[in-house]
This record gives sequence, C-alpha cells and structure tokens, in this order.
Amino acid sequence: MVKIGLYLCECGPNIAEAINLDKIAEQIKKDNKVAGIEQHKLLCSEDGKKFLVESIKKNEFERIVIAACSPKQHETTFMEVMSSSDLNPYMFQLVNIREQCAWMTPDKEAATSKALRSIRAAINRVRHHDALQQKEIDCNPDVIVVGGGITGIEAALRTAQKNRKVYLIEEQKLGGRLREYGLLFPTMQPAQEFLNKKITEVKNTGQIRVFENSKVKEILGFFGNFVATIENKDREEIEVNAGSVILAIGANPFIPTGLAKYGYGTFDDVYTAAEFEKMTSSNNITTKSGNPPKSVAIIHCVGRKRLGYCSKVCCTNSMKIARYIKEKLNGVKVIQFYKNLCLPDKKYDEFYKKTKEKGIEFLRFSDIEVTKEANQMMLKYKQENDNEDALPVDMVVLSTGLIPNPKTEDFAQMLNIPVDEYGFFKEEHMKLGPISTITEGVFIAGCAQGPHSINDSMVQAGAAAGKILSSLVPGRRLQLETKTSYVSETMCIGCGVCVDICAYGALTIDESKRISVVNEVLCRGCGNCASACPSGAARHRHFTTKQITQEMIEILK
Amino acid sequence: MEEKTLPRILGFLCKWCSSTGADLAGVSRLKMPASLIPIRVMCSSRVNPIFVLKAFLGGADGVLVSGCHPGDCHYQSGNYYTRRRFAVTKKIFEELGLDTNRIRLSWISASEGQRFVNVVTEFTENLKKVGKNPVKAEVFL
Repeated sequence: MVKIGLYLCECGPNIAEAINLDKIAEQIKKDNKVAGIEQHKLLCSEDGKKFLVESIKKNEFERIVIAACSPKQHETTFMEVMSSSDLNPYMFQLVNIREQCAWMTPDKEAATSKALRSIRAAINRVRHHDALQQKEIDCNPDVIVVGGGITGIEAALRTAQKNRKVYLIEEQKLGGRLREYGLLFPTMQPAQEFLNKKITEVKNTGQIRVFENSKVKEILGFFGNFVATIENKDREEIEVNAGSVILAIGANPFIPTGLAKYGYGTFDDVYTAAEFEKMTSSNNITTKSGNPPKSVAIIHCVGRKRLGYCSKVCCTNSMKIARYIKEKLNGVKVIQFYKNLCLPDKKYDEFYKKTKEKGIEFLRFSDIEVTKEANQMMLKYKQENDNEDALPVDMVVLSTGLIPNPKTEDFAQMLNIPVDEYGFFKEEHMKLGPISTITEGVFIAGCAQGPHSINDSMVQAGAAAGKILSSLVPGRRLQLETKTSYVSETMCIGCGVCVDICAYGALTIDESKRISVVNEVLCRGCGNCASACPSGAARHRHFTTKQITQEMIEILK
Repeated sequence: MEEKTLPRILGFLCKWCSSTGADLAGVSRLKMPASLIPIRVMCSSRVNPIFVLKAFLGGADGVLVSGCHPGDCHYQSGNYYTRRRFAVTKKIFEELGLDTNRIRLSWISASEGQRFVNVVTEFTENLKKVGKNPVKAEVFL
C-alpha cells in the first residue's frame, strides 16, 4: 500500500485552539489509511520545514497531506519541501483548516469534525495524484513592436538591452501621429524637438532594428516563440523571431463627416483638431481667403455621443490649440465651446487656469450648429440655460475624440485577442492585467487600448516592457503551467467542442488523427474543456475527475 | 453535536475568486456554520454538471458552485460556461423531480468575505427548512 504521511500544523495557537487536533489524529489512526501522523507547532517555519524533510525521509512517505493554512499562503512552501524530500511536489495535498475552518467556526467540536472531513477527503484525493513534471521550453527574448509612434518608440527603447533585440515596425515613418504635432500639452514644448530626441535615441540603440514603410503581414506562434512576416519598404518579405509582441498601433482621430450640424466638409474654414495641428506645424494659420482669422471657435466633444466614451485628451488638447492661436495671432478672439471639461491629470487644472488667464473664453453650451450667412460663418448655439444666441466666427476647430485604428481588428484576429465594444484592443483585466491580453506574450500599449495622453501611453509602454523583461530572460528557459489539460487519444471522438470553448486557442484538431490536441504552451489550466468534453477524453491534470470524485465521496460519507 | 443537525454542503470554489473570498472571511474572523466543506478547483468551469448530480446522489444536502463574477473570470469566460451548465443542471433536476433548492450558483469575488459568509449562512438556513437529502435513503446506485 502506498505510504501516505499526514502532518497536522498547530499554527501556533491559531489552529490548535480552535480545532481538537488530538481527536483528529486519533480518528485518522482508526481509519488506518495513512502510514503515519505527525503534529507540529509551525510547519512553515524554518524549524518546521526541516522537521518535515527529516520526517518524510525517515518514514519513507510517498505521498503527503498537510493540514494547515490556505494554499494561497503556503502551498508553494510545502511543494518546495516535497522537492527537498526527494518527492514529486504534486504528490501532496494541502488542507485549509485555518482560514476556511478554524477561523470561521466558533464551536470547537463543529470545527473539529469539519476539519476531519476535509482531511479525510484530502487523504483519499492524494492517493490518486499523479507525479507531474515541470515543463520548460526554449524561448526567444527578442521583442516585436508593432507601431512606431511614441508608444512603440518608448516600448522599443525600454525593451532593447544587452542580449535582446527589438524589431520596431512602422507602416510609415517613425513618430506616428506625433509627427503632425506642433506643441505638447501641458508643457507647451515643441513636439518635434521631443520626438526627434526619441528617434535619435532609437537610431543610436544598436539593439533596435527599425522597419519603416513596412507592414506586418502575419504573426504566428505563441509566448516565447513568435514568428512575424514583415513586408519591408522594398516589398520584400522578411521573417523575424521573437518571444513577445507589443501592439502599439495607436488610434485615429474621429472624422465628423456624418454629423451635419458642425458643417465639416460643407464650409471652408471648419477643421478637425488634428487637421489644425498640421497647420500649426507649418506655422501658417489663415482662412481660405488668405487672411488670418479674427475669431476662432473651438467646439469640444464633437462626436462624443456617437463614440460613447470620453477620449480624455481632447479638452486639454483644445486648450493647447487655443493658446497657440492666441500667441501667434495678435488680437484674435478664441472661444472654447464646451459641455463638460475633462481634466484628468494633476497638472491639467493648472493648465486650464493658465489658459483662462490668457484671455481665452470658455462658453458652456447644450447644443450648437455651424451655419453661414452672407459669407460669414455663424455659430448658433443654445446656452446651458436654454437661451439661444449666435456668434460670427472666421474659423471653427472641431475637437474630436479618438477612434480605434482600423487595423485593430486584423491584429485581434491574427493574435486571438478580443476587442472591446468600441473596437479597441481589450486588455486581459481592467485592473489586474491592464496591458496584457488573453494571449500570453502579447501586450497592448498606448491608444491601441483606448484613448491616452502621450505620458500615459509612454507609461504603458514601460509597463509592457517591464512585463517582458521580467518574464523572458535571455539564457533562461520558459517554465510552463503544469496543471494543464490533455486529451486521451483513445477516447477523443474529434467533435471539436473543446476547440470552440477554449479561451486561449490551446486546443486544435489534429487533422491526420481526427482528434483534438492540446498546445501545452497556450493552455492555462482552467479545466473548462474537461467539463465540456462529451466523451471524457479531455482531462485536467491535478484536477482529474477521479481526484475530484474521490474527494467528494469522502466528504459525503 | 452540531454536525448531526447541520445540513452537509459541498462547495466547489474557484481558486482565484471564491476560495480567496472564503479565506478572507476567515482572516476577517467572520463566523458561519460549519456546514460547507470546500473543494478547490482552478475555475468554476471545471465543475462538470455530473459532479453536482453525483454529489447530490451521494447524499449532499446542498451543492454550492461558486466562481468569479461575470466579466471577472481569471480565464476570461469560464464562469459563463459555468452559468450555462448550471442552468442545464437545474433543468435536469426539475425533470427528475429533484429539489432545485438544494443546488446554488453564487458569484463571490476575492474581496467578498462577508458575501461568502452570507451565501453559506443563507443556504444552510434554507436547507434546514428543506430537510435532509432523501436521495440517499431512496436511491440505489
């Protein structure tokens, strides 16, 4: 019979005072299912761990049950003890008799019998455990950065270091949308000066290989081993290998063609903020008639309702434009028509106040229409209090939000990552995984994930770089999840149910055998396929039907 | 003594949310009846409806399946599958003339220690009203 050892941890007074461990030991001894029972004051202490190793070796136990705290606390600790005791770390079951028993059960007798039940279940379970091997694969530390805007540039700079190459792929020229900018808010520093500095840095970093005027045709593979096909400027196809991918494809400004009331495309001197930005970089602000405008209206939140979200940057950007106009054109009148001001940064409030001090007017409206009367543009608007008014202006700048890059969908399909309801890449978890995606090794940064300021985009790029630097280390192999699924070749009927439900694309049909196979690199070990499989072929390691059933049987005895 | 009168509940708790929530209940020293014995799974989607039926036919007075809230699954969409499977399980229970009050699906996040206690306490009280699971005495399997 297999020799199972049971260890009861007193956890100081934590468990010993709430549960009658002696009674448990006595009962388990009567069951006659374990080869030995030991009790200890604190198994996770250095002394406790030493005791465990010595005791396991001395008694020649083959499988171990430890009744102590939550697996969250010390499962890894005791698995290490298993290894030190020359046992497979998975030949072990930890019973949580502290958090989920001792600490929540006021009655000692009730706590004791609950703990006894759980321990018996664990003993019955551990009997059916399999020795699992930690799997490792070779991995490539190099990085593919898609998109050469400021986010991509920053991501490349942060990931490029000794023994790690970065492929920075840009469809046009390095710099992306920032190339069209005149000034940056809230510092009012020249955008090109800042950008050129960054580009020079990229060019001086030997580890970064830049592909300009190039397209990513395909990315295949998985975490640690991606292969990308790039079509370079000479229309040659080049293959590069990398372990991870950062998608920094940015966003596009919303074009308000469909919103007739703003007169965009109808009247000459109506521009989007992005178009106006281009004008500022050429330093020439004139109306179509060739004269500088005497009055400029900037309308906020254009298309806000249609997009369904706030783009976070347009309010501050509008103020930047207003200040630029005010500085360049003597005596010009600049009016900001806004509904709500969004100033989501510690420096933005001050920026707003300064903008006001420059003599820029802020007018809150509830509705607005751009019209033309006898060659003069007129803004007809409704104020907050529903009073209607009209204002002649020479130029209108429409502050529109950001919409997803149309390429988002292509990359989403290529790399099996979802997009959100607005069409941006969907992060793995809003709070727990804001820059990772459900495809391991693929990260999203900057406006590809949603509207962000340059600062925030760069922070995200840095965060993605950090994730990569810490998970793919040159010279080290990649450790894979051990508790993965596998498919029994004899049982599988090739129905493909598991293929459809796997969130990670870890299951595919092997066409030659007509059965489903698991890619162990992609499998995260949730066990969904094992529940869905109609023929019992898909199995979840360490959570096999047998193990769970045996646990259940003992609990219900 | 209490153990004889308490309903016996088998609780499938997912590792990421519900089991952590149960841990939090303990850490916060919240008290609840010792009726539920937990089984930890990686994801609630590992809970095959057969487990629920098996537990019930094995004499469990109640079965609780608990996972992360919709949209919060550690594995993206596992709990949506759990939800559908649970609906099917309920249908099977109805068809077989079994009491659906004995099975329960609850979303409990890692920060909801109090909710875990509330769910278990309430479920226990309900099961006390329904009485012991008669299946064990009536079914031969």
